[in-house]
Amino acid sequence: MNRALTVARLQFVGWRSVVGWPWGILALSFLINLALFSAMNEADDFEPTTGGLMSIYVVMFVASINAITQDFPFAIGLGVSRRSFYLGNVLNYLGQAVSYAAVLYLLAVIEETTDGWGVNLRFFGIPFLLVDNPVLRFLSFAIPFLLLGFIGIAIALVFKRWGVNGLLMLSTVALAGIGGLVVLATWRGWWSAIGGWFADQPGWALLVGWPALLTLLLAGLSYLTIRRATP
Amino acid sequence: MSAVVTVTDLTKRYQGVTALDGVSFSLAEHRIHGLLGRNGAGKTTLMQILTAQNFATSGEVSVFGQHPYENEQVLSRISFIKESQTYPSHLRVAHVLRAARLVHPGWDEALAQRLVDVFQLPRGRNVRKLSRGMLSALGIVVGLASRAPLTFFDEPYLGLDAVSRQLFYDHLLADYTEHPRTIVLSTHLIDEVSDLIEHILLIDRGRLLLDVEAEALRGQVVTVSGPVAAVDEFARTGTELHRASLGGTARATVRGDFGPAAPDRARSLGLDLEASSLQDIVVRLTTSNNGHAAGGAAAADKEAVR
Amino acid sequence: MEDGRPIFLQIAELLENSILDGTLAEEGQVPSTNELAAFHRINPATAAKGVNKLVDDGTLYKKRGIGMFVSPGARAKLRGRRRDEFARQYVRPLLTEARKLGIEPAELKNMIDTWEEGR
Repeated sequence: MNRALTVARLQFVGWRSVVGWPWGILALSFLINLALFSAMNEADDFEPTTGGLMSIYVVMFVASINAITQDFPFAIGLGVSRRSFYLGNVLNYLGQAVSYAAVLYLLAVIEETTDGWGVNLRFFGIPFLLVDNPVLRFLSFAIPFLLLGFIGIAIALVFKRWGVNGLLMLSTVALAGIGGLVVLATWRGWWSAIGGWFADQPGWALLVGWPALLTLLLAGLSYLTIRRATP
Repeated sequence: MSAVVTVTDLTKRYQGVTALDGVSFSLAEHRIHGLLGRNGAGKTTLMQILTAQNFATSGEVSVFGQHPYENEQVLSRISFIKESQTYPSHLRVAHVLRAARLVHPGWDEALAQRLVDVFQLPRGRNVRKLSRGMLSALGIVVGLASRAPLTFFDEPYLGLDAVSRQLFYDHLLADYTEHPRTIVLSTHLIDEVSDLIEHILLIDRGRLLLDVEAEALRGQVVTVSGPVAAVDEFARTGTELHRASLGGTARATVRGDFGPAAPDRARSLGLDLEASSLQDIVVRLTTSNNGHAAGGAAAADKEAVR
Repeated sequence: MEDGRPIFLQIAELLENSILDGTLAEEGQVPSTNELAAFHRINPATAAKGVNKLVDDGTLYKKRGIGMFVSPGARAKLRGRRRDEFARQYVRPLLTEARKLGIEPAELKNMIDTWEEGR
């Protein structure tokens, strides 16, 4: 566990870039939107959402890929076990997801109380994410970080262990699998049933529960993959 | 002296290629070992397996008495400096040193800072903007300052000029003398390190050709030249590694336990005798097919035709 | 260091030379193996082996905790041994080469005298 903490710290030695990129890009996106909305603030009764919040998730997704393609060979080269690297990396990512989600939550609250930063800008609060329960609302910020992070880790690990061919194989299987299911669903007329299932799911399950489950599954598979990966 | 590394019948196969073929040896503690061989001989693969960065196909590996795979106790005592090491692209020189300091329990920060000055490394420069030589120097600083009980240097000098390489050897020797530890130096600049290494492992095409004390090998290989009959006579007492002939004279490189009497014997046969350097020995052993077997007709014929 | 001969023998010889020419006096302290290693850029273990060879044959002796010293009488002993080696190392090849060129031993003596006078 000590070594895992070492890895988490090791990934933070260049912390200015680690923290700077996601928040820098988010800030840039926010400022552009703010300027845009100040310029056209006559549209009072209309509350569009910008999608600019996505930028921080995209940066963190890329960061999780970099963790495998760049940090992994570096840490293993310095003499860290794969297990420690993985745990440290998860710890590091988890810490960032939780703290970033907290900041985003805070910003969303500020956004609401200031009537969209005084210009009716809805940047941090996403309409379909309006959940009353504060814990669920917090998780709805945090879980996407984790899901995207582990998708990034999983994809990068497939590349690390099986190369380009591995990635092509993965995409082919995924495409064939999803395509097959779509065809099957259409052929057997399952679509209304599927739609019904989604409609029956409570909001928290769609936003938090199922993504969390998928995240756990990816985390487990990634761990098994990294144990035999070479830097 | 106890063995830090023990390797038994180690084999590594990549698709269709045998990188290591039944290699067995052990490395004694607190010595400088030279891991020699041509490019692609299997040196890097061997070190990668010893540091658990790669996986063996078969055979046993023991480092500090344990298997290194996922073994924090073993891995934290190893430093492996390789030419191909990559760094996260956002890191600066100072970041890399800080990271290495976190991982290596025996890290000597004062030494690291001194070496950074010696090699004139720009502390604030991004690793992507370092020249090849600076990257090598960074690896050398990490390898020496880590003070790891088992340190591997895999061709650590790419892009370094002769002066910087000498600086590396001098600091390696000085720090090793003060803080004895087990060092494995993989290199093909053999002449440069031949006086530093105590024990030699020579690998060729995945096989272990030599596992000897450097001092024992010195004087074991000589080149005699003179009349063919006399050369034949001398060569009979050893294993002929190489021969070239011109008319009635011949030159043969011979390996054997000649001892201090060899020059006298050569002289009384009317031969000129020249002792081979370590580099010559390695070249002879890895270019001739009879490096490990007696009789050298094939190689001799080839040379004679030229 | 020179190629082709064990380095520890070369180290031992260098120390012997220093004793023979008086650079290292009898009862004087000999450089430590670490100093020898750094100066000649060789492995410390090899330097130690060279020094130990001289300890074994009595040329040097060990003062515990202080270092290595030249034994009393070491210089005379070395000189005697080197004289024997001189004949083997220099006189014999000289004669062999002379024979090859048809130089008789008497003529060889003359040559040596001439060179010694002209020095």
